Amino acid sequence: MSLLTVTGLHKSYAGVQAVRDLSYEISHGSITGLIGPNGSGKSTSIDCISGFQRPDEGRWSLAGRDLTGLPSHALALAGLTRTFQTVRAYGELSLVENLCLAAQEHDGVAWWQALRRTAACRKADAAARARALDLLEQIGLGSYRDAPAQVLSYGQSKLLAIAAAMMARPLLAVLDEPVAGVNPTMIRRIEAIIRTLNQQGVSFLIVEHNVDFIMSLCRQVIVLDAGQKIADGPAAAIRGDPRVLEAYLGVTPAEGSA
Amino acid sequence: MTAFRAPALGILAWLALLGVPLLTGSEYLLDTGIAIATFAVLSTGLNLIYGYTGLLSFAQVAFFGLGGYCAALLVTRLDFSFWLALPAGAVVATLAGLLIGYSSLRLSRHAFAIVSLSFALLCGIVSRDWVSLTRGSMGIPGLSLPGFDDPAQMYRLMVTAAAILLAAFYVLLSSRLGRALRAIKLNEPLAQSQGIDPLRYKLLAIGVSAAASGVMGALFVFHLSIVDPSVFDFYYTETMLIMVILGGAGSFWGVIGASVVFSIVPDLLRFSSDLRLMLYGVVLVAAMLLFPAGFGGLLQQRRLARWSTQR
Repeated sequence: MSLLTVTGLHKSYAGVQAVRDLSYEISHGSITGLIGPNGSGKSTSIDCISGFQRPDEGRWSLAGRDLTGLPSHALALAGLTRTFQTVRAYGELSLVENLCLAAQEHDGVAWWQALRRTAACRKADAAARARALDLLEQIGLGSYRDAPAQVLSYGQSKLLAIAAAMMARPLLAVLDEPVAGVNPTMIRRIEAIIRTLNQQGVSFLIVEHNVDFIMSLCRQVIVLDAGQKIADGPAAAIRGDPRVLEAYLGVTPAEGSA
Repeated sequence: MTAFRAPALGILAWLALLGVPLLTGSEYLLDTGIAIATFAVLSTGLNLIYGYTGLLSFAQVAFFGLGGYCAALLVTRLDFSFWLALPAGAVVATLAGLLIGYSSLRLSRHAFAIVSLSFALLCGIVSRDWVSLTRGSMGIPGLSLPGFDDPAQMYRLMVTAAAILLAAFYVLLSSRLGRALRAIKLNEPLAQSQGIDPLRYKLLAIGVSAAASGVMGALFVFHLSIVDPSVFDFYYTETMLIMVILGGAGSFWGVIGASVVFSIVPDLLRFSSDLRLMLYGVVLVAAMLLFPAGFGGLLQQRRLARWSTQR
């Protein structure tokens, strides 16, 4: 059974069809790439399934559970978390606090337990802190654990966002341009970290412009153009797909071979 | 470490403040103490909503006045005991807060600011014009609290109420619930993506702050022994905003410190009645220039500077 199933997603803004009849499936334990030229509807489609945009039509389910129309916080609780294209962090809070916040709604501690700081709450807090420190070591930011997040560089912030998305132990993490504007060394590091986390059981759906990054990381790649899916398959097959070449390079196969 | 120190210091401060009437019988000083206690709770209530959660609220004075009017009406018209009227006033203030919060927050933060301002103005108008209920601008006089007729007793009651309410704020804000409120202020979409329901937490902040303001309102009008439409005056809103902004929005002790300072400063400037408001203005402008992020903001800047130089 597939992990995420999206069926018939439609979204238009003032008459412009941003996403048209988009359907796809991604499987458990996979890393899937979602690529396409600017304005092809990548961001809109993941905004829809993560609850930040309301689609006009379409349904989606995660691990067999229908999630259509749920608000973003409810989707996060159901196991679908995301990162953002722009760097988002709680700038004034320390890295550890940033990560602990990402876990606190998921550990089942009720408000009255939180107020009274019951043993259950203290235990959950300690577990979150341990995991946060562990993740910070994994992403190489252990020495900044108590620094406010706003002192991090752009690439480091992107790493922090990925780590935060991992705190809730999601079924699926949707990463919106995790390496856009990041230097090559850092890109290799992010790639390695995503692989490691994937081996630990998290599935990924990655939106990126960096095609090399997607091709080396993903088994399955979905290509969008003008709001529609034009290709969906193994990375190797996508590379040579004539429709993909046309969308990216603006040449038709006929012109290309002539 | 600070987690253990703060409650102990708080209890010591409360005991010390209870002892003040032993040193002075001056009604003027005790009244100033009551003003400090009242404003410390009101501005911490605003700090909870604005400083921590990031919602600008002009309705704090409405919660304060509603608590006062409800308690006064229940006692004078329906012969309620004050000790029942007090929580009833708090409940009414809370319900009003949840109502304006729920109706406006699904639109935007700005809608909440506007609705809260309108609500505060509306409360003032109703209290003036619904003469058959509130006696209009004549107000409801003769409010008395048996057993607390003595200024020292009233002072101790208000200080104790303020201590309990501030402790409740502290417990909330230092828990993970307070951390979630800060997350919503700092980056709401990020908080949402992590499973934090912003509406629920915002309503929590509004409800708690309205309840505390309502309690202080009920106590305050029985201290004055009269409630009239001036309890909804913009003066209270302005003073709360000054205390929160200069104390440092989001800084618990900064705002309490500012509540003490700015409850006293206007009185200290009384030596010149002509220049009083101008001097007050000078003090505010100077404070704004010296501490643009408030007293509490200085600490945050120091912390940031330490890490920036290390990088």
